[in-house]
Amino acid sequence: MGQLTPLRRRATLTLVMLLAGLAAPAPAAASELVVIVSARSPVTALRPDQVAAIFLGQSVRFPDGAEAIPLDQRLGAPLRDEFYLRVTSKTPPLLKAWWSKMVFTGRGQPPAEVADSAAVRRRVADNPGLVGYIDRSALDASVRPVLVVQ
Amino acid sequence: MQHSFRGHHLTASLLALALGAGFDAHAEDAGDGTPSVAVSGFGTVGVVHSSEEHADYIASALKSNGAGATRRWSGDVDTRLGLQLDAALDKRWSAVLQLVSEMDLDNSYRPRVEWANIKYQVTPELALRLGRVALPMFLTAEYRKVGYIYPWVRPPVESYGTLPFTSGDGIDANLRWNLGPVRNTSQIFFGHADQKLVDPMRGYARRVFGLANTSDWGALSVRASLLGGEATAAIADQLFDALDASGPSGAALTRAYAIDHKQISVASIGANYDPGTWFLMAEASRTRTHSLLGATRSIYASAGWRHGALTPYLTWSHVRAVGATSSPGLPLAGLPPQVAGQVAALNAGLNQLLGTVPQQTSVSAGLRWDLRANTALKLQYDRATPHAGSHGTLTNLTPGFQPGRTIHVASVAIDFVY
Repeated sequence: MGQLTPLRRRATLTLVMLLAGLAAPAPAAASELVVIVSARSPVTALRPDQVAAIFLGQSVRFPDGAEAIPLDQRLGAPLRDEFYLRVTSKTPPLLKAWWSKMVFTGRGQPPAEVADSAAVRRRVADNPGLVGYIDRSALDASVRPVLVVQ
Repeated sequence: MQHSFRGHHLTASLLALALGAGFDAHAEDAGDGTPSVAVSGFGTVGVVHSSEEHADYIASALKSNGAGATRRWSGDVDTRLGLQLDAALDKRWSAVLQLVSEMDLDNSYRPRVEWANIKYQVTPELALRLGRVALPMFLTAEYRKVGYIYPWVRPPVESYGTLPFTSGDGIDANLRWNLGPVRNTSQIFFGHADQKLVDPMRGYARRVFGLANTSDWGALSVRASLLGGEATAAIADQLFDALDASGPSGAALTRAYAIDHKQISVASIGANYDPGTWFLMAEASRTRTHSLLGATRSIYASAGWRHGALTPYLTWSHVRAVGATSSPGLPLAGLPPQVAGQVAALNAGLNQLLGTVPQQTSVSAGLRWDLRANTALKLQYDRATPHAGSHGTLTNLTPGFQPGRTIHVASVAIDFVY
């Protein structure tokens, strides 16, 4: 149930927007997600599989070899669930199972969490090693979008 | 019964300790290298019913009893509680302690130190661990005690039930490396393993080496592993002493079957394809023990579909012996009647041991229901058939047991992580 609802809600929303779209100009999607690094980072673009590997603890480096540290939004945030569903195809229980596997085999701990998009942006802006994901509306010049999550 | 009661009490205390600690000590670091401690844990509460009243259905050879003969409904097959402390000193040094409480061969739930090791992260890709670590074997063996991670109530018993040794003391190295789009993790272990059997008996394995490699490519994960060592366990010592005393042919039987400095090996290769909405998993393995534990080959395949919070799944699993499962024993011809009787009893004892080499096929259907993002309820039905005269993965046989009869096992379990 818990997993169906957001999907179903999104499907309903899409349908409503499609119908409404006949009258209104294309509105911003429910949430447009961007993956960001610090504006001071040399990284300019990441592929979805590279982002997935960093956030699942499978890869500890950016493609250029610099160390990459993922930063999560808080547990239960809709943006977080959407990010993982789109980038890793994992629902919250599957993601929990994944990190349980990592923790209980001694391979790693899940990324640190901060409160919201603004907090992620602030932390990422300050540290070129960090990578985060935020709502597109929270973007500013202190960070660089490296992937628009479709 | 008294033991069992005390065990439950211990479990409850451990649970209280774990939950109490979990509420106030979950300090998370932000990857900036400051010291931190994380408390986490896992557990399963399960009950199992078996239709076979002349033997116990167990999920691990290290359990004193299960469902069937001892109790028709047993809470001891899958129930367990684990607690893990992860301490990070800085970016390079960390330590982990994991305690697990579950039914053991002494019919108690006394917590056991599953892991206790310190880790040194040489580079972001290379880590060295010293202490008690998980032995590298099978696809899901490292986390077989954490039911929440896998879809089933328990990993297929035909492959996993007879080799319940999960940790060893020594040193291991983990290396992450990429080959094009394929992300690999390679592990090497060297050390020894010491497993308590029925107190005061123990099983030892010296010069244990393990190699494993996991390759992830998108939704596909492939793992190959090889574990070997020299095992000694004082199982059926009296029988082998008597065989030794009976002369050279008896001593030859002891050499063939006693678990006395025997080279054992376990090799497996498995794959898991999991694009999110469904999964397909298969694994083949073989074990060699040069002893009464026999040589076996096992294989299983499992598939499931995820519909929202529900994951129905099907599993087929099989194990067969590829070595001797019986022995003609000592010749009786020409022996005086009283001696012949004693020798026949020795032969029967030996064959009873060899009959424990598992040969079994089972088909399982189950449903996992993710109640919330750290708790899953599982229902599973297993139809298991021991064959070729073996009693499969069953234990505690009573005289009415007939080999070859299909047994029906129903399980309900709640798995959680915190």
